[in-house]
Amino acid sequence: MIIVWLRLAGIIVIGSTIVYVLVSIYSRSVRRERLENEWDTDPAREGLPRDERDAYIEAGIEAYRHSLRKRLIWLVYIVPLVAISVIVYVVN
Amino acid sequence: MWTYIKWGFRIALLLLVVGFLHYTLPQRDIVRITNTYNKQTPIGANAIFYSSGDSGTADTTAVDTIRDIRFIDAVFPDGESVMVYRNEDTGWVWPPYFKYDSSTLQAEATNLQSDKTNPQWVAVTHYGWRLPIFSVFPNAVRITPVDGPDVQLIPWINIVILSMIAFVIFMLRRMWLQFRERTVDPALQDVEEAWDVVDARADAAAGRAKGVFARTMAWFGTWRAKPRR
Repeated sequence: MIIVWLRLAGIIVIGSTIVYVLVSIYSRSVRRERLENEWDTDPAREGLPRDERDAYIEAGIEAYRHSLRKRLIWLVYIVPLVAISVIVYVVN
Repeated sequence: MWTYIKWGFRIALLLLVVGFLHYTLPQRDIVRITNTYNKQTPIGANAIFYSSGDSGTADTTAVDTIRDIRFIDAVFPDGESVMVYRNEDTGWVWPPYFKYDSSTLQAEATNLQSDKTNPQWVAVTHYGWRLPIFSVFPNAVRITPVDGPDVQLIPWINIVILSMIAFVIFMLRRMWLQFRERTVDPALQDVEEAWDVVDARADAAAGRAKGVFARTMAWFGTWRAKPRR
């Protein structure tokens, strides 16, 4: 019985971690692309040195690190647990 | 020839996925319960279609065992076609119903048993198939009384689950495209630029190698999305 639960927990942890890593990489990549596009399409910033562009993007990524959006990715761990609890409650 | 093999493979894959979902997702039958009983059931090669013994008891998932399994007989509103459900715990991993109240469900089923003259119609939520040739029975998960045999049930759970699967496939595709755009393509660009340097340095040798490179790039090109026809 305990072994079965441990197996279930292990599967959930491993699966959620894979999803978490993939989603965070994707989310950060999308944010970086948006920052790059913002800089590149802004006429006021044309001709500014490349250092400033890099600094702008790094600042944006740093802001993203503390954003709600990044924190919401933790839902990847919470949603399966909630789903299982709901199923257990409804079925039994 | 290759087209047939390719399409045969795709259709087989699609059938596999659809069959898997059809087996695993819950369905509801409107039936009248006619009998509930236990039966000593030997489980052999069809073990894949059976779940585990009562959760919390000794592990009896081994092949070639005999288990006492609860069954529920039911008849459909047409009065002729019948269905036999098994009533087993599902255990804790697959299929993810997390059902461990088979005894309670059996008691509910017995309570809702009724006869022709005074029918009590129920909705039996179940998954699985009835395959008489392999002695395979769908597993009843939940039994709820309904008003009559003609009640319309909306499969909300299946709608939610299938939407979630579609969303996951959509997101995986987005993620893959993003990965290719941001990581694979720039890497290929680097290779191309490095190759140009080599090319400039040794024209004759590179001329030959470039054929290989062009072929490799063409091969990579086959992985790109093509405009829809």
